[in-house]
Amino acid sequence: MDETYDVIVMGTGLKECILSGMLSVSGKKVLHVDRNPYYGGESASLTPIDQVFEHFKKSVPENKYGRGREWNVDLIPKFLMANGQLVKLLIHTGVTRYLEFKSVDGSYVYKGGKIYKVPADEKEALATSLMGLFEKRRFKNFLQHVQDYNVDDPKTYKGVEPNMVAKQVYEKYSLDANTQDFTGHALALFRNDEYMAKPCVDLIKRCRLYSDSLARYGKSPYLYPLYGLGELPQGFARLSAIYGGTYMLDKPVDEIVMEDGHVVGVKSQGETAKCGIVVCDPTYAPDRCKKVGQVVRAICILNHPIPNTKDGQSVQIIIPQNQVSRKDDIYVCMVSAAHNVCAKGYYLAIVATTVETSDPEAELQPGLELLGAIEEKFVSVVDLLEPIDDGTENKIFISMSYDATTHFETTCDDVLSLFKRITGEDFDFSKVQHTDTETVE
Amino acid sequence: MATGVPSYKVILHGEYGVGKSSIFRRFMNNTFTTATGKKSTIGLDQSTRTYTIDSQDVKLTLWDTGGMERMSFIGSSYYRGAHAALLCYSVNNRDSFTILSQYILDIVMNAEGAKIFLCGNMSDQVDSMSENDLRNAVTDSDLEQFTSQCEDVLSGVYRVSCKDGTGLQDMFEDMARFLHRNSMSKMTLRRDLVQPGSTPEREEANSEKRRCC
Repeated sequence: MDETYDVIVMGTGLKECILSGMLSVSGKKVLHVDRNPYYGGESASLTPIDQVFEHFKKSVPENKYGRGREWNVDLIPKFLMANGQLVKLLIHTGVTRYLEFKSVDGSYVYKGGKIYKVPADEKEALATSLMGLFEKRRFKNFLQHVQDYNVDDPKTYKGVEPNMVAKQVYEKYSLDANTQDFTGHALALFRNDEYMAKPCVDLIKRCRLYSDSLARYGKSPYLYPLYGLGELPQGFARLSAIYGGTYMLDKPVDEIVMEDGHVVGVKSQGETAKCGIVVCDPTYAPDRCKKVGQVVRAICILNHPIPNTKDGQSVQIIIPQNQVSRKDDIYVCMVSAAHNVCAKGYYLAIVATTVETSDPEAELQPGLELLGAIEEKFVSVVDLLEPIDDGTENKIFISMSYDATTHFETTCDDVLSLFKRITGEDFDFSKVQHTDTETVE
Repeated sequence: MATGVPSYKVILHGEYGVGKSSIFRRFMNNTFTTATGKKSTIGLDQSTRTYTIDSQDVKLTLWDTGGMERMSFIGSSYYRGAHAALLCYSVNNRDSFTILSQYILDIVMNAEGAKIFLCGNMSDQVDSMSENDLRNAVTDSDLEQFTSQCEDVLSGVYRVSCKDGTGLQDMFEDMARFLHRNSMSKMTLRRDLVQPGSTPEREEANSEKRRCC
């Protein structure tokens, strides 16, 4: 440990592992430590199932859930957008070769107490009872415009200037409140309605991401890795190691050592490793973070698929805030043995939302009600932390907590912003070179 | 996977310094370097070769550890989907041999059903060893005892020298043959996997219209 590094990364959550990989690839000498004896921090998938019970301080039931090692339970539920930033990062860094994914079966949206499949193709769109016939036609025109829209080409604007607010665009296409809900929350994946008063480019970009993702592998725009999300940080950790990064797990961190207002090293078990830069998650520097909100999540074990999803083996359900008189959406993510995260015959559903009241668990009720009978439920309320400064002065770069969104777009925004703050430049993907040679005998 | 050619993942495993990366280099481009330590492992990732087994093309992909075992653990994801593990030790280092039962446990826990092959490296050094060195060497009776204890677990036992190249190419081909014949007798194919970047996208993917209502 008594060595000098360019960067010490603390915590092996997904963000830290992506950064560690990118920094190693960029030629930095990286030491990556974690206080836990496993990779992933909060973005680990817990295995075997006993660990889940222990994590939530519940007694472990005997012989109930099949073979314990077949379980890989995420603490933070998310899916990858097939055309999103994380998939781009996976491809450009080559980390995709370490992992295997499957499409998520279906995406659903909640309307008036029932759930409806978000149409995945023209046939489903024609058949859906989500909206009436005339509304379908108006919606089709809207989508067509979104598809053709190009911010750099005013000819494609057709009366929709990029700074026109989203609400006005809906009005231009005469979309009713339900369709607005559906578009903003199930397609554009906004968490609340604040976007309505903001320039419409963001709405258009997000709708495009959804449709481009949907077009890639079919069924739904989402991908999910076999064996759980915990595979992702490990993939990027491997990238970092291959480019020379040093890993130390089970390593408690005592102190971030400062001198003249900036970081000079990290102290652990009596030894100090010197460095000019520290990257970490909020739990390694709690006094340099502020609380910006809370997320409540309920991990539920079911012994049946979610009702009314055609027995989908992996689904997402979005409950737009308007439908249940809230400010923030409620999300349901369900995965199963099809993605190697639990024993056959079981299903793992996570219901999550941003906390708005003093009774967070009750806020999940509309989501929990959709699940049918629940075998086991683990509820947690976690603080969302953000660094109090951008790290450029003291050279301590802290990631933000994982928010309630069901995909990795905000995760990647944070990672790319951190990388730029750390190095002063954007990541150069051309620096990634693989030894993945193919030789024919 | 996507090409239809049977493909087998083989992970290297064993103590730091027994020559896993040297075995990897012999597999990748049949080279050898005398460099040791962490630097000699940097950049090595995975490598694929095609063998012809029973007049069919078969791919073997070998994974190096990235040196993660030096100060830490190799994460569970390294083991995922592995068809085999090549368990390595150095014939002149007893410690690297006696610890193998622990590694076998790791493999059995993390890569269910993976075949385990045993590989003693640095066989060239046996003849030139001093008496002192010999005391630390792995003897034939050590090996015999171990292999008879683990008979059911081991699918092949090899002795190689990365320095002079002895035994390596035969070992790789033998593993390919074993794995392929073994899987032919079981036939397990998974068709619905998606690997972004290599899985072909749906045909409509790039056409502009994809859905309307």
